[in-house]
Amino acid sequence: MIELFKLSGSEIQAIQLSVEVAFYCTVISIPLALVIGYFMARHDFFGKPVVESILHLPLVLPPVTTGYLLLLILGSRSFIGKWLFEVFGIKLAFSFEAAVIASVFVSFPLIVRSVRTAMEMVDTGLEEASRILGAGRIKTFFKITVPLALPGILSGAILAFARSLGEFGATITFAGNIEGETQTLPLAIFAYMQVPGKEGATLRLVIISILISFTAMVLSEWYIKKMKHDRS
Amino acid sequence: MIEVDIRLPRKNFEVAINESFSGGITGIFGPSGSGKTSLMHAIAGLEKPLAGKITMEGNVLFDAKKGIHVPVEKRDIGYVFQEGRLFPHMSVEKNLLYGIKKKKKSKVSFNEVVELLNLKHLLKSKPAQISGGERQRTALGRTLLSSPEILLLDEPFSAVDMNLRNQILPFIIRIQQKVDIPIMVVSHDLPDLLKLTNTFFFIKEGKCIAHGEYYDLLKKQEVSELLGNSALVNSIEMTVAKNTEENRLTLLEYLNNNEKVVVKCEKSKEQYEIGRKIKIFINADDIALSNKYMPEITIQNQIEGTVKDLIERGSTLLCIVDVGFKLVVEITFESQKRLNISIGSKVWCMFKSVAIDLVG
Repeated sequence: MIELFKLSGSEIQAIQLSVEVAFYCTVISIPLALVIGYFMARHDFFGKPVVESILHLPLVLPPVTTGYLLLLILGSRSFIGKWLFEVFGIKLAFSFEAAVIASVFVSFPLIVRSVRTAMEMVDTGLEEASRILGAGRIKTFFKITVPLALPGILSGAILAFARSLGEFGATITFAGNIEGETQTLPLAIFAYMQVPGKEGATLRLVIISILISFTAMVLSEWYIKKMKHDRS
Repeated sequence: MIEVDIRLPRKNFEVAINESFSGGITGIFGPSGSGKTSLMHAIAGLEKPLAGKITMEGNVLFDAKKGIHVPVEKRDIGYVFQEGRLFPHMSVEKNLLYGIKKKKKSKVSFNEVVELLNLKHLLKSKPAQISGGERQRTALGRTLLSSPEILLLDEPFSAVDMNLRNQILPFIIRIQQKVDIPIMVVSHDLPDLLKLTNTFFFIKEGKCIAHGEYYDLLKKQEVSELLGNSALVNSIEMTVAKNTEENRLTLLEYLNNNEKVVVKCEKSKEQYEIGRKIKIFINADDIALSNKYMPEITIQNQIEGTVKDLIERGSTLLCIVDVGFKLVVEITFESQKRLNISIGSKVWCMFKSVAIDLVG
């Protein structure tokens, strides 16, 4: 029984990689989502619905399609891919970075939507009050808007983190399934499923992926609740 | 001094104001939707006028022709909103500290503001945990600490319970005494404004109807229409001269040149020290007029004065009587005929000591 829960080296690697990809994905997404979410919450402009649709597209697109598009745009045969390789010697496709990029694209609609809704809920009157008291736009943003929208920002970040943990289609297309480099938990599970005699390993990884996602969700719910309680 | 010359289109009319506002407290009075708040917003920079110019102490805040529109945060204007707009995620203390500027020397210190507005016991509380009046006091304090050059108060009483309004008033008066900056107070409640000031700016449909001393403006047809049946209050700043224990009265003095007017009022619960400046309020319809001094009557205050003006107000008549300071007295036409009161008549203004409210 204990044997069943003993993780092999490549399994540990897959777990580590998953958490790392999800972490970088979240860290990159948060500032982007803050800026874009704030802009979308506070400004009306011509073509806003189109921009919104583009932002939300990865949510409804099959992830494989997103991955394929990324490959087309950033792959080594693309214009950008060639340029990146020639100037910086960077090869994006089929790398750890590619796994992060794929995750960012797929999970971004979730966090930006959450951040935007949270910021729309922040009373603009409080931002006005802040500015009259002498605070510029940037101070107002960080001292008033962001703290007041924090529960929404956090739940968006958790959603992005969880979505990234579960990301499969875009990753396998754009980053491949390279053990120790781009093979995250879902990819490892998929790979093990194909191999006879790996049922135990598959089950272990399935349980672990459930545990990680569940813990993230519980922690965020608890924290958001605590934050709301502190304010009232 | 702030000079405003702006045009700002609203839904149904255009706000077009060309006025200047100097020190002291100016009451901005007008019906709902008359452009009061638009005027304040334009001064603060929250709304951009279509045309015109705004200057404060010579500094241009807005100039449509030159394309100048100083951003809100750089205007040094204090604005207290109707709902207080305290930051809900910060304690009262953090709210108060929010606008303190490092570069600028403040006219009042944090401790002075806390003392002045009686906020000490609230510092650690969150805005959601305190009462409406306390929130408004915090908002006042927060604005004061941001060292504004002018203070704009937008309906500061409306979010406060009727009974608590008289508790906010003295704080505003104290602020004016402490930091000598122009204060503009918007309200659609005339008695509240009268308790604060006699300098008025009347606005209707975006236009200035009258601007100046309230006693001089009363005779204007538009002003009296605007005031409708609103109660009129006399508010006079006086000095506490004596507290008499045996009679349980407080004696107040008003000095004008060499003339001294003494008013007796019921001793309030609060013990005012001698020499303290406080405001007294007497309703215009709580004052009676007589042709002579009447020793055998319970009315304590009988002050001689001259009728300066008579203004018709529907079925009643307003007498402006100069007794050293001006008093508005509301009487009936019948009384006027009986006592034969006309401009220039000598009359005695009579009001009971219990009819006076003290604030300060």
